[in-house]
Amino acid sequence: MLGWEYPPHISGGLGTACEGLTRGLARQGVEVLFMVPRVFGDEDSSHMTLIDPLRHSVKRRKGAGPSSDSQSRVTIEQLFSEAELQEIFIPAFLQPYWSEKEYSRQLQLLRESSTIESLPLELSSHRFLSSSALQYGSDIFEEVNRYAAVVSRTARYLDFDLVHAHDWMTFLAGTLVSRQSGKPLVVHIHSLEYDRSGQAGNRRIHDLEKLGIVSADAVIAVSHYTKGIIRREHGIPAEKISVVHNGIYPSEAVQHYRDSSPDRRKRVLFLGRVTFQKGPDYFVEAAAKVIPHVPEVEFVLAGTGDMLPRLKSRVYELGIERHFSFPGFLKGEEVERAFSTADLYVMPSVSEPFGIAALEAISFDTPALISRQTGVSEVLGHTLKFDFWDIDRLADLIINALQYDELRQDMIQMARRELKRLRWDAAAEKTLAVYEMIIHRNERRI
Amino acid sequence: MPSVCFYFQVHQPFRVARFTHFDSVIWTDYFDVQKNASICRKVAQKCYLPTNAKLLELIQRHDGAFRVSFSITGTALEQFEAYAPEVLDSFVRLAQTGCVEFIGETYYHSLAALYSEDEFRAQVKLHTKAIQKYFGQTPRVFRNTELIYNDRIGQLAREIGFEAIIAEGVDDVLDWRSPNFVYTVHNSDAKLLLKNYKLSDDIAFRFSNRGWEEFPLTADKFSGWVHRVSGNGDVVNLFMDYETFGEHQWASTGIFEFLDYLPGEIMKHPDWNFATPFEVVSRYSARADLHFHRLTSWADLERDLTAWRGNTMQEKALAEVYSLEKQVKSLNDLRLLAVWRKLLTSDHFYYMCTKWFADGDVHAYFSPFESPYDAFVNYMNVLKDFKRELDKGSSALSKDKGSHSKKSGPRSSETTELLSA
Repeated sequence: MLGWEYPPHISGGLGTACEGLTRGLARQGVEVLFMVPRVFGDEDSSHMTLIDPLRHSVKRRKGAGPSSDSQSRVTIEQLFSEAELQEIFIPAFLQPYWSEKEYSRQLQLLRESSTIESLPLELSSHRFLSSSALQYGSDIFEEVNRYAAVVSRTARYLDFDLVHAHDWMTFLAGTLVSRQSGKPLVVHIHSLEYDRSGQAGNRRIHDLEKLGIVSADAVIAVSHYTKGIIRREHGIPAEKISVVHNGIYPSEAVQHYRDSSPDRRKRVLFLGRVTFQKGPDYFVEAAAKVIPHVPEVEFVLAGTGDMLPRLKSRVYELGIERHFSFPGFLKGEEVERAFSTADLYVMPSVSEPFGIAALEAISFDTPALISRQTGVSEVLGHTLKFDFWDIDRLADLIINALQYDELRQDMIQMARRELKRLRWDAAAEKTLAVYEMIIHRNERRI
Repeated sequence: MPSVCFYFQVHQPFRVARFTHFDSVIWTDYFDVQKNASICRKVAQKCYLPTNAKLLELIQRHDGAFRVSFSITGTALEQFEAYAPEVLDSFVRLAQTGCVEFIGETYYHSLAALYSEDEFRAQVKLHTKAIQKYFGQTPRVFRNTELIYNDRIGQLAREIGFEAIIAEGVDDVLDWRSPNFVYTVHNSDAKLLLKNYKLSDDIAFRFSNRGWEEFPLTADKFSGWVHRVSGNGDVVNLFMDYETFGEHQWASTGIFEFLDYLPGEIMKHPDWNFATPFEVVSRYSARADLHFHRLTSWADLERDLTAWRGNTMQEKALAEVYSLEKQVKSLNDLRLLAVWRKLLTSDHFYYMCTKWFADGDVHAYFSPFESPYDAFVNYMNVLKDFKRELDKGSSALSKDKGSHSKKSGPRSSETTELLSA
């Protein structure tokens, strides 16, 4: 399995989804070899083999003798003994959802502070590397290429039945590994360039998506919504795309975050990137309509993004700054605290392939109001839904949800039951069905 | 000489329109005329008109030996009059055969028996007046909304003047006893008629179920089951929603053919006949006093009230709307009173039910709302606006104190009668 990030070192939902899915697959008896650009060592990955294609091998070569407690370990040992790999550091700061501008800036910083050894890549034998995707340098595409090169080389020493690649950053690697090994390829679409940027999306990213989607034996989409966009944007038949909704494990009730004092203000939470796609502006406009009717309310707009400065000044312009807080980018425990102390979570996304945060909110016993333009709205019945542009309805729902404890209580009680159905086991089961289908198909072909 | 007793429930609520916290409506007209009219006309075409025509034909074909009874809510009658008068005419023609009995209930199909006995009495009286007006009959048998029943409700109906009450034949109440006899209300001389849910549901729910081992159900087969009761009971009470015919079970399932053959098949056995509820209690004596240890209804497997007050939203909405009773009645404003009563109809609370809305089984659930939570939000928004209207009325009334305003005369039986028209 090829991924770009893994908790706790994550920039978005992708790493979390990879963790959940691999745990679910492990429980189904699937042995997962997971390759990320960089392993930090503090990942909780006991359910699988987490491979940093280069650094791990370096560490092993210097260090301990062979261990053989599991089949996968043996395989890895073979790899380590046979591999003649150079020590190459792959920059691990890659944030797939950074804008190109932000990426270039980060890269520049890196260049100034350290050196990136150029890769002696023997890739010219691969047909794909002559394609346009490889001809760009000094940006995220360069890192995508590096990742593809080292992964495909490492994969020669690994034993596996199929390749499963997550999002466009790993599609080139997935395609290479699939071609050289003759094993089937599954590409998993968590998010499309179209979702992030609309029609104005980056052409190169679009092309890499297409490369993966066209080369793949099967495509997994995180929602029917995303499946529709894949079909439209990449023109492939519906039969090739399976939908596997993301899941979540209910977290321990985080009671100690809760402030039970009766006179505290009711809190409404937005948590996500403050960008066009996430609809934070609708959150602000709805808040302005709510405040005259619910005087004791606080709106928390958590996250960072290009729209944040504009929204802050909008809040001042509306004269509702007393009711707003902007805690910035939250992570780890801060996220848990934010979900636990909110009375209501609002996801006003303009376009959201899945929207796992809505499930997270529920797992913290916070009811969610979600826009109909999200994948999660397809699977979540026990919630109130709105069209992202319908500010009046959103304000109406917020007012009533704050006014009536009964509404929030019944929603969360039923949603918690619903969440069980959405757990990762279900996602893993569906993924396994996709695996079996394409493996059987491949066997028939031979 | 055992009898088959048919009772059909006819009900249409006044569904509320989409209403937000920011809306305010002049003339407090919260009801969705277009939707109510179109549903009323649709069900008229699929069920009421064809089934009424079939029943009329059967009564004539069997020279009056085929007899049925109806309970029609006031809210349904009002909508027939406004949106589908031909339905009302066809019920009147059935009434004129002398083979059809009309049963009493709350005019607004409400849960008033559980929240306000005053309001319960008022609505039952309104309903009686409406039945008298349209069909020239005075109901002598009572059924409460959704067959919601306990000893107290039976006694209340007796106090109002009914001679018999209809309830569900609930297993944990009946225990070893059979629903196929007449009983009496606990500590009362009112008779109790109990639904035979097994045979009733064979028609109402299982008729078109292809997974059912008895599928397809024919009139011949069903009559055989009824005839097996011979010697073991006086009456088989088949109580169901009238919409079973043509709406819940579509015409294409053969439900009308089943109905067409059923009376003849039942009466092929020389001992068996048809009787209306009052005829049943006049003909057969009661076997025992039946005590209900809990509130029961005819809904779901549990036969309880959780469909209408099984979660905290429903309890909240019910508590709020009944808390307005005193204020509404103090204003003596017929228009506001009628609006309030339409908001008491049990369907509004049913739409807020979350219990079937679980585990992705969303589509099995019928409601004009996207979710129970939407139903709650919409209803509470209406209630908030209605309360504002009431407060306006109350403050106007207190200004008028001392002088008699035209609007706020004392309530008379005349105004109450107006309401039922």
